[in-house]
Amino acid sequence: MSGPLHTQLCDKLGIEYPVVAFTHCKDVAVAVINAGGFAVLGEAMHTPDQIAADIKWIRDRIGGKPFGIDLVLPASVPEEKTVEELLAMIPRTHWDFEQKIKDKYEVPAPKEVPNLHQWGGLDHKRALAQLDVVFDERVPVFASGLGSPQFLLDRAHQLGMQVWGLVGKPRQAKKQVDAGTDVIIAQGYDAAGHTGNIGTFSIVPQVVDIARGSKTAVIAAGGVTTGRHLAAALALGAAGVWTGSLWLASRESDVNLQLKERLIECETDDTMYSNCISGYTMRTTRCPWHDEWNSDAAPEVLKPPLQMMLSANYIQGSLDYQRKDLMTEAAGQGIHYVTEMKPARQIISDLVDEAFDVFDRFAAD
Amino acid sequence: MSSTASQPTDAGISGFGVDPAMKGRRAECDGGQHIAGTKLSGRQDFAGTLTGDYRDYGPYPWRWYLMAELTVKPAGYQFEAVWCDSGSLVLSDE
Repeated sequence: MSGPLHTQLCDKLGIEYPVVAFTHCKDVAVAVINAGGFAVLGEAMHTPDQIAADIKWIRDRIGGKPFGIDLVLPASVPEEKTVEELLAMIPRTHWDFEQKIKDKYEVPAPKEVPNLHQWGGLDHKRALAQLDVVFDERVPVFASGLGSPQFLLDRAHQLGMQVWGLVGKPRQAKKQVDAGTDVIIAQGYDAAGHTGNIGTFSIVPQVVDIARGSKTAVIAAGGVTTGRHLAAALALGAAGVWTGSLWLASRESDVNLQLKERLIECETDDTMYSNCISGYTMRTTRCPWHDEWNSDAAPEVLKPPLQMMLSANYIQGSLDYQRKDLMTEAAGQGIHYVTEMKPARQIISDLVDEAFDVFDRFAAD
Repeated sequence: MSSTASQPTDAGISGFGVDPAMKGRRAECDGGQHIAGTKLSGRQDFAGTLTGDYRDYGPYPWRWYLMAELTVKPAGYQFEAVWCDSGSLVLSDE
């Protein structure tokens, strides 16, 4: 197959369209793969047994097509502390402010108290155990959502697996290209969650330049929600796009209905790049928690993981009772174009059709 | 520079020691990690001087270096040192 949408990524994966869905929902992953795209399932918060079960579930439904698993490898780790020690580090003033927010917005208490014993941090043992499953299962693509996958390249390649790395800085891309990473996901500031501070239009061509002459393909991430974004990414030299927010409100997505409605209502400036959720800066949809922490009355945001421990009850309570007015979710600036709950196959089709229209228009001029 | 590395107690460690070639090297670390209990992650940047202490994890091995005398660290970071994945380190005195 040829044409403007047939790229190096299509050849690497044997897929029809150079569209990668990053999702935490197995149903979305399967739907995208069966519609001609590619999907990477985020499994960072799952145990090795859960990851193995998810891999089997997907394999049973995609007829031998490739898929990916994403884990977040730690890149820096401070000394560990116990949960009790961490809780004791949160000042009284901050607990009082949290309570004030809950009172003001009538935030319900979570049905189950978030398991704070998981909150001390992610150790190497857990990451290694997760990786063991990915290797044992010979998952076609392993994607590292944060840390460098450099150390596992040899083993993965020996097993016939591809290794992808997500970067937010050109120098991270340089290291990964030199190491032989198969695909670099160049993620711009527009993206959901833990982005770098370089915009998508600026980082993608830089990473493409770095990868030129190597076997590494580059795909663009951050704010990609339309066929015009796909066409623009290919014009910048990318071999495809990495999309996340695009699937949150899809028909197959397991995001709860109230939150899907909230996401559909969101405009670009409803996404906030803030550290008030976790102490790390990340892009999430605006909610009263953001507003209050941006107010003059707010104390200083705490360092990780303390701020996340402080926000945990608010977030869980909003989800447990489906309070759309309180909910927040990691979402990128492209959320403006997520306007209805479409099936994943329709989303792929719309994306591809619009990209073809763009190329047809240029060809006709 | 004296080592601030504590004795490793993590059973996942497959090796540890001091690499003289890395001791005293200035470096930057594009760090961060998964936020346990959530699907979120966060980035953190550090700069400082490597003590030379290293730890290896797993069979690959996955090598980590200890960075101290931190000149760049996240606001509120309360520790004097940070362990950094070697793949996320950039030596700044090369």
